[in-house]
Amino acid sequence: MAVQDATSEALVDTLERSLRNRRIAKHVGIFLTLTLLWELGSRMGWLDPLFYPRPSNIIRSFWLIYFQNANVWFHLYSTISLVILGWVLGSMLGIGLGALVGFNTVIRRFLKPYVIVLEATPRIAVAPLLIAALGFGVNSKLAIIMLVCFFAPFINTLSGVINVNEERLELFRSMRASKTQILRKLVLPDAIPVIMAGERLALTAALSGALVAEFIQRDKGIGSLILVYTRNLNMASAFACIFTLTIIGFLIFKGMEKLDHYIAYWKYEGGRERMSAKRKRTMVEP
Amino acid sequence: MSDQPIPLSGRILDIGVRFLPHLVLFAVIIGAWEISVATGLITSIIIPRPSAIWSAIVELYITEGTIYRHFFITLTEAVVGFAIGAGVAVSLAIASSLWDPFRRYVTPYAVVLNVTPGIALTPVIIAWFGYGMGSKIALAAIISFFPIFVNTLTGLVQVDEDREELFNSLGASNVQVFRKLRAPAALPLMFAGFKIGLTTALIGAVVAEFAQATDGVGVLMSRFSFQLNMAASLATLLSMTVIGLILFYSMEFLDDRIVFWRRESRRAAASRARARTWAAQAKK
Repeated sequence: MAVQDATSEALVDTLERSLRNRRIAKHVGIFLTLTLLWELGSRMGWLDPLFYPRPSNIIRSFWLIYFQNANVWFHLYSTISLVILGWVLGSMLGIGLGALVGFNTVIRRFLKPYVIVLEATPRIAVAPLLIAALGFGVNSKLAIIMLVCFFAPFINTLSGVINVNEERLELFRSMRASKTQILRKLVLPDAIPVIMAGERLALTAALSGALVAEFIQRDKGIGSLILVYTRNLNMASAFACIFTLTIIGFLIFKGMEKLDHYIAYWKYEGGRERMSAKRKRTMVEP
Repeated sequence: MSDQPIPLSGRILDIGVRFLPHLVLFAVIIGAWEISVATGLITSIIIPRPSAIWSAIVELYITEGTIYRHFFITLTEAVVGFAIGAGVAVSLAIASSLWDPFRRYVTPYAVVLNVTPGIALTPVIIAWFGYGMGSKIALAAIISFFPIFVNTLTGLVQVDEDREELFNSLGASNVQVFRKLRAPAALPLMFAGFKIGLTTALIGAVVAEFAQATDGVGVLMSRFSFQLNMAASLATLLSMTVIGLILFYSMEFLDDRIVFWRRESRRAAASRARARTWAAQAKK
């Protein structure tokens, strides 16, 4: 039942492996050739530069929006701060409710139909409704981000809690572990990898949610910047913003991987040894 | 499980007993909601009464029926976008599973496309494809592409080595390995990708409608919201849920039929059907 996008990890692994195998030169060569072809096509008039901006113009726009006009920073700050805040709040809510529902069979049974209905509804579709209810501004943006963040951690925590290893639970019970002990030492550690997968999805969704909120509100944030640039047919700057989002997306991916290495360390090669060495160090010192 | 068939009345009673608590809870929630809005605990501008939502549903779906046109437009956008995205994704995945260099040089672009929030492309896509259905279909196709591509590729590449060994030692041709081993092994993952892709295609269609459109459920939704007609807006949301459910369960149905070997009962049914056709052929 848990939602996961573990498969894209596999793809990034292939990417990194193929980059490591000294094929970088070829990759860069192909990339440059494609870029040059694009540039050439635009200069020869095959591609309308009004709609399909030239690579050189996109690079110039990067310079413009980051350094010369430096107007992107304000919007970036607005988007990123809201994304992180909404992600933390929304996913905390999701994890908390997921754990609550996971432990309580009665609540779980009664909540199930609503969860199914919620799962089928595109959550982002509620955006205009939330904006109308909470007004323009930070509140509604935050609410939208929290809403799109909520679901993946909720479902994953729920399934992590439900799928506790029965034999281990039996062992814990037979040693008369208290409920808190079972929660802290068995259920949570077991569920953490799944929860982290949910968190990663939630952060990606948070960025999309913020963009949709900004498209509708058109006040500030990178989404509204893209919208304004496109409306003015300043496609090069719009693409500079979109590539900025690509970079942010990649940072999110890498950052979540690092966080996963840190929190769910036992999943990774050498992680357990590293942690136990660290523990030993702290234990020896009185 | 007893072998004796349960009489129909018993079954109905059983279902009734199972659904009764849910119905009671639902009624209690709706009742409490209605009362708290009616007494002014919740402002009716922000959260409308259930009865107001109900009358909006009746108006939109039954007496005036305005929603159906928008409903089918959005459904079409999502399905066509999904079909294009899935077609491109599956063919690219097959190509990259068969031809190693292609995979190596396509992967970076696929990853870049994946980490970019596809939604960010909405304004650009609208500038490229216009205000009509084209831009919605394009966005739906773009954002449904990636999960399908990754899942299909993973399924095609990660084949059980023992099985591959068996195929090779029996002298299977490349075509046979693909048709009889790789493709069937990839199907379950592929369908998982299709399910995610359908959901994202619907999101793409709706978001593109928010940004700029004249028809579709998303337009209706934002129009009602900005008129502060929350009841009608929630009634419209219902139709998105319905589209989501239709898409999801039709994919689930296809999954059950095509990947029949994953479920025991379906496998038995498929093998019975095969036995019947063979018996019929033998008679001739």
